[in-house]
Amino acid sequence: MLARTVSASLLGVEGIPVRVEVDVAFGLPSLTIVGLAGSAVQEARERVRSALRNSGFELPARRITVNLAPADLPKEGTGYDLAIAVGILAASGQLPSVPLSLDEVALLGELALDGGLQPVSGAMALVAAARDAGIPTALVPLANEAEAASVAGVAVHAARSLGDVVAHLSGVRQLEPAVRTPLPEARRTTDAPDLSEVIGQQLARRALEIAIAGRHSLALSGPPGIGKTLILRAAAGLLPPLDDAEAIEVSRIYSVAGLTDRRAPLIRQRPFRAPHHTVSTQALVGGGPRVRPGEASLAHRGVLFLDETLHFRADALDALRQPLESGQVTIARVDGVLTMPARFILFAAFNPCPCGWLGTVARTCACDPSSARRYASRLSGPLRDRIDLLVLMQEPAGIEAAHDGVEPSRIVAGRIGTAWRRQLERQGGANAELGVAQLGPATGFGPDVISLLAQRGRRFGLSPRRLHRTARLARTIADLDRRETVTELDLDEALRYRPEAAA
Amino acid sequence: MIGVGRAGSGVPSPDRPAGELLLWSEPRLVPAVEPAAPEADRPYWIALGSIPGIGPATFGRLVARHGSARAAWRAGPAALADLPWVAPEAPAAWRRARRESAPAIAAAIESATARAGGRVVISLDRDYPGALERCEPRPPVLHIAGDLGCLEGRCVAIVGTRRATGYGRACAVEIADELARAGVTVISGLALGIDGEAHAAAIEAGGRSAAVMPSPLGAVYPPRHRRLAKRLEATGGVLISELPSGRAIGKPDFARRNRLIAALASAVVVVEAPDRSGALLTAAAAIDLGRDLYAVPGPIDAVASRGCNRLIADHAAAIVTSAVGLLQQIGVHAGRREATVAGSLSEAEGIVLAALLERSGSIEELIGRIKLPTGALAGALTLLEARELATSYGGATFHATLAARNLMDR
Repeated sequence: MLARTVSASLLGVEGIPVRVEVDVAFGLPSLTIVGLAGSAVQEARERVRSALRNSGFELPARRITVNLAPADLPKEGTGYDLAIAVGILAASGQLPSVPLSLDEVALLGELALDGGLQPVSGAMALVAAARDAGIPTALVPLANEAEAASVAGVAVHAARSLGDVVAHLSGVRQLEPAVRTPLPEARRTTDAPDLSEVIGQQLARRALEIAIAGRHSLALSGPPGIGKTLILRAAAGLLPPLDDAEAIEVSRIYSVAGLTDRRAPLIRQRPFRAPHHTVSTQALVGGGPRVRPGEASLAHRGVLFLDETLHFRADALDALRQPLESGQVTIARVDGVLTMPARFILFAAFNPCPCGWLGTVARTCACDPSSARRYASRLSGPLRDRIDLLVLMQEPAGIEAAHDGVEPSRIVAGRIGTAWRRQLERQGGANAELGVAQLGPATGFGPDVISLLAQRGRRFGLSPRRLHRTARLARTIADLDRRETVTELDLDEALRYRPEAAA
Repeated sequence: MIGVGRAGSGVPSPDRPAGELLLWSEPRLVPAVEPAAPEADRPYWIALGSIPGIGPATFGRLVARHGSARAAWRAGPAALADLPWVAPEAPAAWRRARRESAPAIAAAIESATARAGGRVVISLDRDYPGALERCEPRPPVLHIAGDLGCLEGRCVAIVGTRRATGYGRACAVEIADELARAGVTVISGLALGIDGEAHAAAIEAGGRSAAVMPSPLGAVYPPRHRRLAKRLEATGGVLISELPSGRAIGKPDFARRNRLIAALASAVVVVEAPDRSGALLTAAAAIDLGRDLYAVPGPIDAVASRGCNRLIADHAAAIVTSAVGLLQQIGVHAGRREATVAGSLSEAEGIVLAALLERSGSIEELIGRIKLPTGALAGALTLLEARELATSYGGATFHATLAARNLMDR
């Protein structure tokens, strides 16, 4: 006899519905799972076998074939256990009366040997995929209830065990529909240093404020121990919280990556990711046999901080070009292409040369000039063009001067919030994302400013791409000053941060 | 037999390595000899002078002993046996070279140099630089591209570290500019850092510049200065190399280059040199050859200026307090210059420029001195940079440019 149930699988950060077909036929007793099932799926046989027996059912001593369709999509993970078990029960006549068609319930969950239901990663994406496929109901493990219930347009029931699911499906004991409540918010981490801890470095502070306010990418270069990392880490405390739509987007990515606290799955805090420089390309942008979101996607809507940027593998840095340009990661696989969101602010920090002391007065650079040049050139090409602000940091002139005008993060965050709201009200997005066609009168650029920009571009030998980036920076500088019109002064300040000014 | 010792080896310098430089500094011991028939001796002169390991001193001794390059060539590598300070690779290199005839070797060298856009000038030739006539040992064979005429007038060398700071670059530009405007030919070594700034500023000011290269004419070292070398030649300057085309360069070639720079100039200015800088070799050679030596002082906490400061402290070099002051010391009159600045300065620009003219500094340091908001200061610096009144030379420290100084002088 044949039975069909519905489950869902993850592809990148999106879910796709998966049909589970179970055929119970005469023949030598066996249980075979086909449909490009990975090893975790193959192990479902043992879990399902035990869970059925321990829930008071039996695995028929027949030849059982399970097909996961679409059969050409590789399947990984343990989320099909429930759908397979229910399919076997239906196909072997152990599920006598089913009031609602099994086609109309998405079954998600991993089975414990005692028949209990274990949570799955990416419940939000999986339930949303089922809804998009027109499936009105979803049965999920209790631990995934909060996440699954947050998806609108689908009835969610949470179950403790296989027994609960069978009782619900056969109408013996209906499960209460999960109530859509606002998702519990994840705890915010507050380990970011405060800007008041940074000694001096007015220019770097200013650049940081501009970068966060308009979501521009920022690079700090300077000798070791000068505070590059401290300043950039302080950014975590300056980022405005995610709005509702962004929070759902980000929470889904974290859920897929299995990084969510399931009791409080909604992430409101803008991500701040700082992968170590030994990170592999795959871990940075995602990919691998089972595609998982990389650091670039985990930093979506937040900050990706590459400390010691020039020590990252060249191919890893190279792989960041695409997300920096398009806001998403595209991974080519044998079975097709998949994309994951990755719109982040890039923060970079590095020494100007291998020894770190190039360009400082008090110490001499021990590097050969050509090796120092080679070192710096690791940044050029792929990344340099996409960095909006570069600041060459120097030792503070003196401790007294350094403490003048040092603002705490609270005040700076206030200005950033204001500038951020101005951008949303004006164009509905960040200044860094303004299209070239948008840089005109509607966004505060008069003809005089445009022609001055072209003039400066000729003077400093800047590419059109750099000029557009400069214009977006100037827009943010004006927003920080609460002005609608971009002036020559904004432009000149924006040009001060151009990476081309550094040798 | 010619005695060789450490006597009369010039300046006391802790940076002075033993070996090839010492060999160089035995001028009185290598007499210059005019062969009886210069024209007939020319191919042998070129062939013998191009053997790796036979430097100007060994060449001089060989010709002195045998009376002509032709006779020395005939004597063969055995003639090196009882000469002092002969490079170990010289006999074998000579043996290899003698598989061909000297005229064939000379012809090959001359045509290779011609292909690289130059010509061969030997110390017997009429246009061999006059400054070298009075110095022994002198390079027997030079490869020249450009106009040797630029070496006939006043020549001043500007040298310094490859790892130049913005301060060093600014000083090199200012001094080279003043010298070039005064009609002085600026000589340097075409290296990165100070050398490159000096050449470029001299050309920019409409003057002429001579580059003594550590490499053959066709293979500009560093390769990044290929365009600079072309411009230098195109603006009436000259490129000079001691090496024939195709020769790989090594450390001693830089030392020879440095000495030749000092030999060609009437005065040497060390702009910025840390301890153990190659520029200090040029300084030592300048003293050795009796050239005037000047050094630009730096802050006492600046590692990059330590060598210069010590030259001054040791009374080996005269202190340079300003570019114009240097001109007076050298005895030339400052050239004319027009200050042109489009438009008038804004208030912020004026404040920042005044601060920069007082003392160069980074934005971080300027914030401590002038009470402008960071953003306004950053913007004013861009504007000054656009007007060519300030520059950072790619670093964090900003300097007022020559144009800015002139603007304020008016």
